[in-house]
Amino acid sequence: MGSGIWSTDVYDAADRYRRATGASAFAYSDSGARKVHAALDPRDAVRESRDSAEHPQSLAISVLFDVTGSMRGVPRKLQTKLPQLLGLLLRKGYARDPQIMFGAIGDATCDRVPLQVGQFESDNRMDDDLGRIVLEGGGGGQMRESYELAMYFMARHTSIDCYERRGRRGYLFLIGDELAYPKVKAREVAGLIGGEPTEDVPLRQIVKEVTAKYDTYYLLPSGSSYAGNRKVLDFWRDLLGQNVIELDDLDAVCETIALTVGLGEEAIDLDAGLRDLDQAGSAATRTVSKALARVGSGRRGTAVSALPVVRAFTDRISRL
Amino acid sequence: MNYLVVDLGYGDAGKGTVVDWLCATRPVHAVVRFNGGAQAAHNVVLRDGRHHTFAQFGAGTLRPGVRTHLSRYVVVDPLALAAEAGHLAALGVPDALDRLTVDGEALLATPYHRAANRVREIARGTGRHGSCGMGVGEAVAYSLAEPADAPRVADCRTPAVLLRKLTDLRERLAADLGPMDAPPVDDCVTACTAFADRVSIVSRSHLTKLLRAGTCVFEGAQGVLLDEWHGFHPYTTWSTTTFTNAERLLAEAGMAGEAMRLGVLRTVTTRHGPGPLVTEDPALPLADPHNPTNPWQGAFRFGHFDAVAHRYALEVAGGVDGLALTHLDLANLKPRAGSPMKICRRYDWTDRLPVGLPGDLDRQARLAERLLDTRPEYDDPPRDWVATVQDELDVPVVLTSSGPTAEDKTALAALTMRDPTSAPGC
Repeated sequence: MGSGIWSTDVYDAADRYRRATGASAFAYSDSGARKVHAALDPRDAVRESRDSAEHPQSLAISVLFDVTGSMRGVPRKLQTKLPQLLGLLLRKGYARDPQIMFGAIGDATCDRVPLQVGQFESDNRMDDDLGRIVLEGGGGGQMRESYELAMYFMARHTSIDCYERRGRRGYLFLIGDELAYPKVKAREVAGLIGGEPTEDVPLRQIVKEVTAKYDTYYLLPSGSSYAGNRKVLDFWRDLLGQNVIELDDLDAVCETIALTVGLGEEAIDLDAGLRDLDQAGSAATRTVSKALARVGSGRRGTAVSALPVVRAFTDRISRL
Repeated sequence: MNYLVVDLGYGDAGKGTVVDWLCATRPVHAVVRFNGGAQAAHNVVLRDGRHHTFAQFGAGTLRPGVRTHLSRYVVVDPLALAAEAGHLAALGVPDALDRLTVDGEALLATPYHRAANRVREIARGTGRHGSCGMGVGEAVAYSLAEPADAPRVADCRTPAVLLRKLTDLRERLAADLGPMDAPPVDDCVTACTAFADRVSIVSRSHLTKLLRAGTCVFEGAQGVLLDEWHGFHPYTTWSTTTFTNAERLLAEAGMAGEAMRLGVLRTVTTRHGPGPLVTEDPALPLADPHNPTNPWQGAFRFGHFDAVAHRYALEVAGGVDGLALTHLDLANLKPRAGSPMKICRRYDWTDRLPVGLPGDLDRQARLAERLLDTRPEYDDPPRDWVATVQDELDVPVVLTSSGPTAEDKTALAALTMRDPTSAPGC
């Protein structure tokens, strides 16, 4: 007996059934929308990841991806792939109470939707946010997008219990293929996010702030205009060190993110994680192995040697 | 062979985890629900830590391929069902709705029933019945008063019919109780239509197909001591919580009696909500992680193992072939503070509660009054819980559980019917 723990919201239910019958995951963007969906508007927003009775060890995980033209078909692929992330994290026990937030990055110098930020959610509600992202497709020809604005938002406009209550950093994954602008411009912040910024913030300063709060990674996927570009990789390695990951198969994006979190949480080491992937019949093992070689080897000193017994992957569910 | 699983207490004994174990250890084709509705809360935890509270989906749903069938005895809540399917998808089970069939004759619980349920329960004040506030009882009551007008699952396929029925329902309830805090009828019809587009709505005969296709587990909701006729009135549910509905469904499929009857008991007798709990002992050093205090039922209550009440439940249910005894980990725990877990074999005035005729609610109400004033007599904590429970209830314990997952279960004997020639229960 209980008191009905599942929501009986009539609008939520209608929405869920419609989605389950195959409405487009890109409904909002495909309907011609060209301004930020109210749910993703960063203006005057603070995104919170909170502990609760059901999720006492919340862990904030944010995935923000570049939706400008240089990314070509990548954002659309990400919109279909990323909904698997939560299930993957939970299934493998890589994180106990993950709370995931999705968002998108454009170019504040010319795009209509330079920053879109969803909410941290513990269930699949953040998939709704994915469907609301406007795929910009614009961007300038200068090989830069407004990643610094996204980092500014994450550093100063999120509040996460894992960090604030337990001193554990969250995770931030930036997926893109270009450089950031050299500073966060007060004018752009005032126009898009609000608050009363008085001066520009240098890029290094905001990277310092965001990495204090989030273990921050940059993923450069294949299929984008600047995949493998040395200048892009060097730029981000200069800022984030080894936390720059080249992803040569976009199908492996969730596995790569999940395993990175698992390594960071010391729930698993790289070899065990790759074995997990193999066991699950994932074709992504090679990509992930290659992508995480640096990250994993950098961690090996601290990572635990094996999963705790209760995490052993033996129950019969083996699909996402 | 099929299995019927009921709780021989006040609910919360662990039916969900027993059903999950059955589905994990043998090829189960479908889990069939045969009473209650969305107020059920059957918790299942997998070894990898994933946890789901099953309300309308069968508790075997985390096992790949296991279907759920909601028979006509279930009160179906399409709104809560959507949210529950959403959580299952988040756990990596995206096809729960694809594995679901619902009997078109089943009653619908709607936001209007729910609103009425809450208004009435609040009006009862301190005399609350322990209703869950989900509108299940209200839906049953309305169907008895207005059988032709009660909204049913099949109506979701015909929006015009549903619109009329929901409009009538809302108006009638509002005439009785005042304005309803509930969404507009049009919006409710939209959601129910989306439900009908997505979920497979079937006729009675579908269950016969499921039973012919393979093993079915009939998952009871709530507990025999909450039964609408044999529970302690008025602290009961609007639902038959014995094997009766399940046996009737089997008989309709021409398979009367072809199922093992499994009773589930917990080493502590618990109750969520008001009403008799003779052995209640707030000093028991226990807590239930899945049953927090909620505004409709209040705090979760613990009592010592009440053999008198469980013997009564067994008699009401017409006997079982075997018992599943859960929470043995608690029984074997040496408590550092609080009372040790004891056993009650007799009350201050009797060691047996006689079973009355179904329908005599006055008698049940008198019994409830007496039980509220009854003192338990205790014996020392049993050394061997399994042997003691077997002796007291005269039924073999065939399964024990000492933790939340299927791996924490131990089968002590083959799960078989004790006497296949005996007639099915009451």
